[in-house]
Amino acid sequence: MDMSKYQELFLSESKEHLRRMSQLTIALEQDPSNREGIDELFREAHSIKGMAASMGYENTAALAHHLEDFLDAFRKTGAVPEAAVDRLLAGIDLLEALLADIEAQAPEQDVAAFVAAGEELLQAQQRAAAEESEEDAAGGAGAPAEKPERTFQVQVELAEDALAPAARALLALEALKPFGKVESCKPTEEELKQGFAVRQLTVWLQGEAAEEAIVEKISAMPDIARVSFGTDRRREPRASYKEEDVRTVRVRTALLDKFVNLTGELITNRYMLQSAAGARDWADIGSGLNLLSRLVTDLHYHVLQVRMMPLDSITANLPRLVRDQCRKSDKKVKLEIIGHEVELDRAILEDLADPLVHMVRNAIDHGIEKEGTVQVRAWREKDLALIEISDDGRGIDPASVRKKLREKNLLKPAQIKALTERELFQWICYPGFSTAPEITETSGRGVGMDVVKASVESLGGMLEIYSKRGEGTRFLMKLPLSIAIIKILLVECDGKLLGIPVTRVLRTLDIGRDEVQYSGRQKIYPLKDEVIPLHSLSRLLHLPEHDAPTVHMVITEIQGRKVGLMVDRLSGQLEAFVKALAPPLNQLAGISGATITGDGKVIFILDPQVLFEAETEQFSMAEAEELS
Amino acid sequence: MGVRVMVVDDALFMRNMLKDIFIKAGHEVVGEAANGEEAVARYAELKPDLVTMDIVMPMKSGIEALQEIRGADPDACIVMCSALGQDALVVEAVQAGAKDFIVKPFKEERVLDVVRRVLGAS
Repeated sequence: MDMSKYQELFLSESKEHLRRMSQLTIALEQDPSNREGIDELFREAHSIKGMAASMGYENTAALAHHLEDFLDAFRKTGAVPEAAVDRLLAGIDLLEALLADIEAQAPEQDVAAFVAAGEELLQAQQRAAAEESEEDAAGGAGAPAEKPERTFQVQVELAEDALAPAARALLALEALKPFGKVESCKPTEEELKQGFAVRQLTVWLQGEAAEEAIVEKISAMPDIARVSFGTDRRREPRASYKEEDVRTVRVRTALLDKFVNLTGELITNRYMLQSAAGARDWADIGSGLNLLSRLVTDLHYHVLQVRMMPLDSITANLPRLVRDQCRKSDKKVKLEIIGHEVELDRAILEDLADPLVHMVRNAIDHGIEKEGTVQVRAWREKDLALIEISDDGRGIDPASVRKKLREKNLLKPAQIKALTERELFQWICYPGFSTAPEITETSGRGVGMDVVKASVESLGGMLEIYSKRGEGTRFLMKLPLSIAIIKILLVECDGKLLGIPVTRVLRTLDIGRDEVQYSGRQKIYPLKDEVIPLHSLSRLLHLPEHDAPTVHMVITEIQGRKVGLMVDRLSGQLEAFVKALAPPLNQLAGISGATITGDGKVIFILDPQVLFEAETEQFSMAEAEELS
Repeated sequence: MGVRVMVVDDALFMRNMLKDIFIKAGHEVVGEAANGEEAVARYAELKPDLVTMDIVMPMKSGIEALQEIRGADPDACIVMCSALGQDALVVEAVQAGAKDFIVKPFKEERVLDVVRRVLGAS
């Protein structure tokens, strides 16, 4: 049989199991005698073994089998010793490497050495387990140590017209109990008790019972269509999300139903509009258009839902990362993840995965000194998703950032003095900037913070950095929920309509021309207690400037400081479907894409940050000089 | 060998129908009850091999009666009789220890099959 067509599925499912194993192992380290955790871990290893064996990946299957044996011993002792956690994690890493080999179409690497090293440990454990069960038995009749039992899967299919199926399944489950220890079942007993509508019951039994006896007993029950057995293919992991190929997505059927309904309504709407147009009934056309706009909004919302994935999909491996990092640096760090259910566009999540890892590593390496908490928190605010990575460590020392700026000669001393803390901290995202006294293996703050910032900004988001000496540091990412359709602020320069993503806009402001002040040649405006520099967007775009009595401004943030962009007109907001520009237009600095309006006009979408950087390379320097 | 059966149902029609099925098959119907309370009392007195118990009955429901009978005699072999659409109650009864259930309208062979199986297993 040609198994190659299953390879992709095999890889994605195995990775899912591995990720779960990793999570479970970390959890067991905290709570070594969590029986359920051990059992689940065992089942995960078992699943991988079954799948790998079916696919003919011998080394992967052998390693998974080995881990399964290894875990089995803990099921008997009921606890996982600390040393075993390391070994399990090493095994998981090796399994990951094997999967990578398979994915790269390379031969599987050798696992014999790893397995051999484990055999000794395993035997020691088995001895311990045997002793323990002997001890247990000593009080009784001195029964021999229990021999390892196999786990097998019984599938009970109910007749299509089965009456009270949940009750029938419960009875079947009861009937199976004398044949072995029920390790798990799907649906669970609890679900059955709640009257879960069920057509098939899958039970994992531990024991040595004869299959014929089970078939005989169960098929004698009424409303049972079929009883079958299997050893591989476990249940799906409960709480973890499914990893799919980048080009595929799993959609809840409820969502598809919604699409069908909406399409139906759109068709009705079309007829309504057609007949209203035929009759030239303007009132009906008006209400038809209202309905159409409601339907399109609804459709838009649901289409976006298809692309949404929970943050969990990229935070799932953080516990492992934190653990390893703590081990290496000998620190005690508690990781808290809040809001892992917050959903974002999958494309955004993919781009955030690495920055997130980087920031968490940074927090441990540079934030936490000995012991502390790193928190990853996500929440929604209107059209934004906010993700914050905070630690309660030492905080960023402004003096050391200033010192670094001087040493690296990035700014003039006067400019450095003039920087507020907020602006100052943005400099840690400057390429090659690092305040870490020593660069560790994994991170030196600065190595990668530029990448983090660039990633967030390329997604149309903003990165804010807050830090207080001795209290900790917060990195706040403000992100759009989706990158395909975003809200843009329309502005006009020299009669041309341009778009700025609203995620980049702090606020808009209209002032009289006479309110504009000067500091040298630099236009400025005092906004609350902050003096903000003003720049003409027309000039940045090399368009003719027009002076009007009223100055319209878009306040945005560049390098951590507020900047006012002067435009000819503010022309409202628009939900824009953003298209990437084709070459050579994609080479234009500061233009991130374009959208087409209802009347066919092309609107370019600006990225103010990049626009500034391209136009005034030493922008902050020149300006700080003039301000100082 | 016939089985000693007790039939519990508030409807005489149902009791008679079940009685006919059992008698025809060579079983002995040792008693009847029309509500849960009566069922509990008569069970203690008659100790039948098997009870068919309607779920919804006045005075004391079939499930309450089941619990009381099994409280006194954990080996009691009780098969619930339910109507269509009472799935939740059947699940509850199974959890409370009912050996099996039959759903109205009864089919003769189905009833006898359950009796055979339930008693064969215990």
